[in-house]
Amino acid sequence: MTLDLKTRNSRKGTVAELSGEIDSATSTGLLDQLLPLLGEAKGKSLVIDLGKVEYVSSAGLRTLLVVYREAQRASATVRLTGLSEELRFVMSVTGFLDFFEESGTVSEPSTVSRALR
Amino acid sequence: MTDTANFTFSDTIAGYIDHFDAEQRLLKMHTADGRAFTVSLSEEPSAELVRNLGEPYIDASGHIDEMLSPGRFLFVYGIFYPKSDQVHCAAKRLVFLGRGAEEFRFEETGWWVRQIEQLASFYRKAQFPEGEVDFDEYRTEVRLGGEKGSSHVQETDTISRLVYGMASAYLLTGKDEYLEVAERGTEYLRKHMRVVDQEDDVVYWYHGVSIDGASERKLFSSEFSDDYDAIPMYEQIYALAGPIQTYRITGDPQIKADADATIRLFEKFFHDPELGGYYSHVDPILFSAAHESLGENKERKNWNSVGDHAPAYLINLYLATGEQSYADFLEQTFDTIVEHFPDYKTSPFVQERFHRDWSHDTEHGWQQNRAVVGHNLKIAWNLMRMNSLRSKPEYAELAGQIAELMPVAGSDQQRGGWYDVVERLKSDGEDHHRFAWHDRKAWWQQEQAILAYLILNGVSGKPAYEREARQAEAFYNAFFLDHDEGAVYFNVLAGGMPYLLGTERLKGSHSMSMYHSAELCYLAAVYNNLLIRGREMDFYFKPTPNGLPGRVLRVSPDLLPTGSVRISSVEIEGKEHSDFDAEAMTVTLPEGDDRVKVKVRLTPVAGPDGSA
Repeated sequence: MTLDLKTRNSRKGTVAELSGEIDSATSTGLLDQLLPLLGEAKGKSLVIDLGKVEYVSSAGLRTLLVVYREAQRASATVRLTGLSEELRFVMSVTGFLDFFEESGTVSEPSTVSRALR
Repeated sequence: MTDTANFTFSDTIAGYIDHFDAEQRLLKMHTADGRAFTVSLSEEPSAELVRNLGEPYIDASGHIDEMLSPGRFLFVYGIFYPKSDQVHCAAKRLVFLGRGAEEFRFEETGWWVRQIEQLASFYRKAQFPEGEVDFDEYRTEVRLGGEKGSSHVQETDTISRLVYGMASAYLLTGKDEYLEVAERGTEYLRKHMRVVDQEDDVVYWYHGVSIDGASERKLFSSEFSDDYDAIPMYEQIYALAGPIQTYRITGDPQIKADADATIRLFEKFFHDPELGGYYSHVDPILFSAAHESLGENKERKNWNSVGDHAPAYLINLYLATGEQSYADFLEQTFDTIVEHFPDYKTSPFVQERFHRDWSHDTEHGWQQNRAVVGHNLKIAWNLMRMNSLRSKPEYAELAGQIAELMPVAGSDQQRGGWYDVVERLKSDGEDHHRFAWHDRKAWWQQEQAILAYLILNGVSGKPAYEREARQAEAFYNAFFLDHDEGAVYFNVLAGGMPYLLGTERLKGSHSMSMYHSAELCYLAAVYNNLLIRGREMDFYFKPTPNGLPGRVLRVSPDLLPTGSVRISSVEIEGKEHSDFDAEAMTVTLPEGDDRVKVKVRLTPVAGPDGSA
């Protein structure tokens, strides 16, 4: 299983564009790549674009939770975008969706459909 | 007495009266370990009778002389005056435990039931002062007088512990106001703290949530230093404590489904199938006990992860269901304890932290090579419970061994009560196990001593166990009940004075939330009444009949010796009901989809010698 991460900067923060599968094999490596981005996103947003992610396992979901927790410590905000209906459903059922702000599109990170913080 | 120790001090003596000379006003007494003291009563000490929560002060100052009869156990608080090689004690306060020399008020039939009601009233009012049970308003931190603190955290475990207490209060009183809290708390846990992982087919529980206005911030992994960034088994175990106690009352199948799914979590991720036992922590992503991020918690096992299943939820889950898989889990738990925890060649205390291969971990965090006195007692208590379910000689032997060793090693035989954390090994030439941080006494450790010696006494009938149980009950009831603000203190100083600093001042905290105090009330009532003194007790349930398998309600109050207790009568909604199995302690309910209130009267069965 592979997972690729590309980053770019937008007006409101860093965008991490993921493609592939987030599972137990790739999650640790993903965390290692995402955590440094939080430091850069202090006071801003880290947008995680899941539009090209085909599968997220339980371990993958929990990776996102740890990213969320670290973001809190870093005074950064994590926004998710590109959620498929299936992934949104899984995150909703587990309660994980409540953790995150969700952006409608990457280019408009301020368009937040869920703002629970 | 050296010059350097030539100063006055005040302290408590717990002991038995040998003789009182009314003319000279001299009281001769001896402590539990047989050391003699002569106390002067010439300075007109106050005297009181121990009182329960909710009772007024009971003055006994006018009855001192007639109450100082030989054999009576009492507490004397006095000032000690060194003089040459002696120390003279002038009494200032006497605490009697009963009106007669052989009477102990905490052995009254309703003592512990009244106490749990007082606790339940305190915590209900503290958490929901407006009266409406709304868990959005719940806070873990509750100050001494019952006001909420500044923290906005709701910890999963403390909600669960409150739920446990309220469910226990309902079991003993049948008052719906307590069950309402238990059920709403259970629903809140399910809605806000539970993660249903469909891929792994398990349930796990958030550490808690932090409330910020109308929103909540979920706390995924543990926030505490011992467990930081990990998922500790301890927290997952205690998430089940309250809901399962509630399940005993309601039979709500959703609770059982969550418990089974959480047990699957334990089996799938915490269990070590190769070397046995359960790991204390897993990492928050892969749920691996071997992950490097766990640091000193990597591949560790401890008392909580191995043994705390039993008292926290597993015994109660078995009592409610009778399912053999839970009995098997319990048996495996206690077999593991018996195999790995004793370490009597080196210490009177069990070893309670281990590496994966069960080699001893004596360098972990704060514990190092230290003993938690209450864990030893908790093991003895629960071994005796398990011995009634599946008897094994090694269970009773280890319980007996702990019971023999602990009074000298872990109790205060001068003032009464049980200590907290001590070094497992004595230094060369030392008479005492050194205290890790202080010589204070925590409420929950008193509970473990009381329940251990009560069940040991109830099962064996040994007077020595009865004496230890009474001494422990006496210290707890004399010094831990907060008659001014309500509920019980977290800690007292060695002599019994409440210690009210820092987090130990709180009535609700990470450590305290009506769990241990209510567990004590519930089981001290069961053991004192049903197991020891041959008295009937009533228990209350509120299930939906058609929701129970076979419409069978299981009402056994604890794991008690087979045949020692039976049902004598049952009422459903106030009407007599005859369809029950007295010996199996099961009630077959009439068909119905509406909840019914069931009152069950249990009666001790007299043994061949007439004992209860």
